[in-house]
Amino acid sequence: MNPSDFQMPASRRTLLKRSAVGFGSLALASMLANESSIRAADENPLAARLPHFAARAKRIIFLFMVGGVSQVDTFDPKPLLIRDDGKPLPFAKPRVQFNSTTNLLKSPWRFRQYGHSGLPVSELFPHVAQHVDDMCMIHSCHGTNPAHGGAMMKLHTGSDNFVRPSIGSWVSYGLGTDNTNLPAYVTICPTLGHGGLNNWSSAFLPATYNGVPLGNASVPSDQAKVKFIKNSLLPRDIQRLQLNRLNAMNREHLAQTGPEASLEARINSFELAFRMQTEFPKVEDFSGETPATLKLYGMDNPINANFGRMCLMARRFAEAGVRFIQVSHSDSNVQWDQHSDLKNGHEKNAREVDLPIAGLLADLKQRGMLDDTLVWWGSEFGRTPTAESANGRDHNPEGFTMWLAGGGVKGGFRYGATDDYGYYAADNKVHVHDFHATLLHLLGLDHERLTYRHAGRDFRLTDVEGNVVQELFA
Amino acid sequence: MIGILLCLALAADEPVQVATPTVEQLRFFETNVRPVLVEHCQKCHGEKKQWGGLRLDSREALMRGGDAGAAIVPGKPKESLLIRAVRHEDEDLKMPKEGKLTERQIADLVRWVEMGAPFPQAQKTGARTRDPNHWAFQPPADVAVPAVKDLAWPQSVMDRFILAKIEEAGLSPAARADKRTLIRRVTFDLTGLPPTPAEIDAYLADESNDAFARVVDRLLESPRYGERWGRHWLDVARYADSNGLDENICHGNAWRYRDYVVSAFNSDKPFDRFLTEQLAGDLLPFANEAQQHDQLIATGFLSIGPKVLAETDEAKMRMDMVDEQLDTTGRAFLGLTFGCARCHDHKFDPIDAADYYGLAGIFKSTLTMTKYTKIADWHEHPLPSAAATAKKTEYDSKVAAKKAAIAEFIAAADKAVQESLAADPNKKPPEKLETLYPEATKAELKKQRDELAAFEKAGPNLPSAMGVTEDKIIDLAIHVRGNPLKLGEVVPRRTPPVMRSVPVPQFTDKESGRRQLAAWLVNPQHPLTSRVFVNRVWRWHFGKGLVRTTDNFGLLGEAPSHPELLDWLARRFIADGWSIKSLHRVILNSSTYQQASSSSRTRESSDRSLTTSATGDPENRLFSRGDMRRLEAEAVRDSLLAVSGQMDVTMGGSLLKVKNREFFFDHTSKDLTTYDSRRRSLYLPVVRNNVFDVFQLLDFPDPAVSSGNRATTVVAPQALLMLNSELAMQAAAGLADRVLADAQDDDQRLSRLYVMAYGREPSAEERQADRAFLVEVAQAQATDNDAEKRLKQAWATLCHVVLAANEFIYVK
Repeated sequence: MNPSDFQMPASRRTLLKRSAVGFGSLALASMLANESSIRAADENPLAARLPHFAARAKRIIFLFMVGGVSQVDTFDPKPLLIRDDGKPLPFAKPRVQFNSTTNLLKSPWRFRQYGHSGLPVSELFPHVAQHVDDMCMIHSCHGTNPAHGGAMMKLHTGSDNFVRPSIGSWVSYGLGTDNTNLPAYVTICPTLGHGGLNNWSSAFLPATYNGVPLGNASVPSDQAKVKFIKNSLLPRDIQRLQLNRLNAMNREHLAQTGPEASLEARINSFELAFRMQTEFPKVEDFSGETPATLKLYGMDNPINANFGRMCLMARRFAEAGVRFIQVSHSDSNVQWDQHSDLKNGHEKNAREVDLPIAGLLADLKQRGMLDDTLVWWGSEFGRTPTAESANGRDHNPEGFTMWLAGGGVKGGFRYGATDDYGYYAADNKVHVHDFHATLLHLLGLDHERLTYRHAGRDFRLTDVEGNVVQELFA
Repeated sequence: MIGILLCLALAADEPVQVATPTVEQLRFFETNVRPVLVEHCQKCHGEKKQWGGLRLDSREALMRGGDAGAAIVPGKPKESLLIRAVRHEDEDLKMPKEGKLTERQIADLVRWVEMGAPFPQAQKTGARTRDPNHWAFQPPADVAVPAVKDLAWPQSVMDRFILAKIEEAGLSPAARADKRTLIRRVTFDLTGLPPTPAEIDAYLADESNDAFARVVDRLLESPRYGERWGRHWLDVARYADSNGLDENICHGNAWRYRDYVVSAFNSDKPFDRFLTEQLAGDLLPFANEAQQHDQLIATGFLSIGPKVLAETDEAKMRMDMVDEQLDTTGRAFLGLTFGCARCHDHKFDPIDAADYYGLAGIFKSTLTMTKYTKIADWHEHPLPSAAATAKKTEYDSKVAAKKAAIAEFIAAADKAVQESLAADPNKKPPEKLETLYPEATKAELKKQRDELAAFEKAGPNLPSAMGVTEDKIIDLAIHVRGNPLKLGEVVPRRTPPVMRSVPVPQFTDKESGRRQLAAWLVNPQHPLTSRVFVNRVWRWHFGKGLVRTTDNFGLLGEAPSHPELLDWLARRFIADGWSIKSLHRVILNSSTYQQASSSSRTRESSDRSLTTSATGDPENRLFSRGDMRRLEAEAVRDSLLAVSGQMDVTMGGSLLKVKNREFFFDHTSKDLTTYDSRRRSLYLPVVRNNVFDVFQLLDFPDPAVSSGNRATTVVAPQALLMLNSELAMQAAAGLADRVLADAQDDDQRLSRLYVMAYGREPSAEERQADRAFLVEVAQAQATDNDAEKRLKQAWATLCHVVLAANEFIYVK
């Protein structure tokens, strides 16, 4: 992590107070060094903090579809695309493209309207479609980078070519967490490619705000564990003995050295680690869930079980007080990245996620959690309405759909639009920065005030950009 | 913090006079106040116009006020006209005319007046934020050695600078640390490893006056020194074995640069030379092949940075890489953040966009990549040597022979098939006759082909190194707002004029100018190069720099705690021929370095000075005592390996499992890289985006960014690492083996354990507690019948605790 540019004087007592508690940490040097004004002097870095203004949502569950879901095949139907199938795009393609594409390619899937709102959803998402009245679709999303890495980092950190704190880290930094025995930010089965840990790292924010990964995209979700969470050799009773002896040694050492905040913090960190060893397995233990709930997430069938488990874990982490939970749908192949064979690729992917996502929405709703949990679904970019290699689509950051549900957004609502063919965001454009500003706003954070001083200037998730899209708010 | 300052400020009866605003106050002013004044006020109340006789561009002017009286009363917003005006409190005084400020802007102005209206000093002379007279832009001064009262304490000139400040604050320095503390401190400091029991004994037995200096000399001669201090520099050089960012590809030859750095430190390569080789090694004359290779490898500094290799916008990719090189060079050698000026004039430092593009032209004229289309390729210098070439030639001829043999085999088999076909003229021969071979022939052919493939895969590549060379020489136009499509005026290549103490180098259309840039940087009159480096060395010895913002000497960096000492060290460093080892000796052979830490309550330090120092200098900015410091990630792992007797001290080379230019991760998340080697940590792969988890947890710096000031955090996942990782478990088992092998009874074993792990004997209480612990563990494990195994496990369990304890990873 990075150096502090400013060290503020802190009394010894302040130091000691700070060392009292906290899952994560006492990022001593950097905490002292970099605190911005939202931080009161003596608090645990992960303690729950008041937002800048009244929050609509308390937490976020981000369902990240790795590789780039095609908007015109899922939530953004384009009649003219069907009519003009095979014809050239009647306007210019972007100056910079990832690959080259040919003529317009109509969607292989039909759309239907659902719910009271009548929002259209394609055949790919029949279960999610049942929840359109709780969903807020933003059709005019656009980003800046047509490559996976750049776009993924842009979506997660706001920057496509610098290492910057991820959105989950900013949220943890801004709001802390309700359960200091768990991290504020977890990411389940993230992909190691295309930015890798930069997509969940706290960069120059204190390490406490790092996303804690459970497994990665190459690991089945039932084996996705926090690193070093279990000792495979030592029985728990022996480990308890060790901790007792360790504690005594450390206390004696502290008595010898005199008060030293970092030493005290480290003493506490071992007890916390020991508690985490219990806390994490509790969240991961589904034995208390009813068969009906497991079925809701598709845990009873092999197609949905892997992603269903991640979604159910997300709900359980949300219940346990984790502030930002990311779930990635990925695999070790090409994910949603259908440069060719759109039909089979998207169908396979959609089949894996559709039911569990619907289950998550239903479950959150029936537990009354959807009111203050913001569910965010999206990819790093969309896909071109024009064809690549006959039956595929290229990356398209110029216009794509992401949707939100719960957490204070309007349900059954569509915002913004792409052009007639779904290539460019056209009406009420929402850039990734605007999207970030809006997410923070829903959590009660002003994206212009959530700043952190580093390397000589104040940084924000939204850099110098970002407009809150007020129209989405219920 | 502002709150605390505010309370102090309001406690005073008199109008608050902010004589020297703090860094935080200035920061608040620069970010929240000055922009409002400039944008909304100074058009009418500034340098050009003074409506109502009022100027709002200096503190004095604000205090003086205009026709209506003083604009501000520091500390009293309610009495300040400026605040009344922006709040629209009076009907006839509503400002600004064009519309009320936002609530936030008003609140910021109020807060600023409450603070006492801090305004940068420079403003007095009419200078802007980008103050060219900023201390760091003036060459290091020839300072007088200060007088001190306590003549007994200083061991060296350096000590007098430190002592003078301590005395000025009415404090006194801490006592000298005891010898066990000192040898542990300096051994970790110079080698990143704990002292061995024999080394401790030798030092304890050496009662001569220069015993410590001799330890320093011994450590500086150890190859472990270069591994430790080379790694410090690798932080600054943002060293990594992959490009990171998007498509993460293997820098299969970056390790040569790493090894170059280690050897540069071990051989005490003068820093001016070290710098020059890294920026322009390819352009320097050489005496022999080894030197030539070294210099080519050194330019890896410019090449190993993070790169977006799948950037589809080629113009942007090129300028991103130029920017990365320029920004890293600026941070590493000058402690300045040039990156800001890519899109706009630097907000705080006197570096404008033209200065940026003047430097950027040098790097644009430098060839880093051979291909800019995705996925882009970087340049590598071939490192031909007689031996490697001979090996390659021999190998090539073997490949050719194998290929010829296969061709011959095919020809013979084809002939046989054709003959059999000729017997039946109705059969039309297929295009490839191979399908008709008898099974045995097919199998034999496959075998030969597989052998060839395997042989080719394992073939030697001619050695090559990442590095840069010259490209088309070009002067760059200013990219308006950083946009490569919006070009402004062309800026001839040049160095920033604010560093005016150094003669301006002559750039030509024959060379990129890297050589000239390097020469300009190492000019003894350069205000920053020597200061920035000696400050880095100080930081690595003491845990904080004289300038604590080691990578930012600009206006938003911190002022030095000891400006005279900084200048003295910088000049001394140059006078000593830029010798880093000499600099270590100056710093280490001092009373300053050898003080007891605040936290060490040794016999000597039970005197009053320590308490005084802790309260009178809570952050130890005066260096009036030692500081307790945690080991860095590499030192933690290396120490675990060292004390458990598992370390492999082989130097150099590559541990990468992924081949040069191959993917670490593309779409897959399968991690092929392993870290189970027992080599020193600096030799483990550094994969951007997926740094080894042990390093990640222990504050290894982000290898995408130059960093001279690692953070130290304490987080619970670190505790999990120490409790549950294989690394810790194996170290515990290894240490237990050693302890059991070395000594026969528990008392001896405990002595051995404590000396190896902590460099000291255990106390009677510790012995007692540890024995009790061993009994408890043995009881808990009583189900195991094997007594020897039980004994070993009990000791491993104790060793595990000892290694996890604070004393193992905190050095006082």
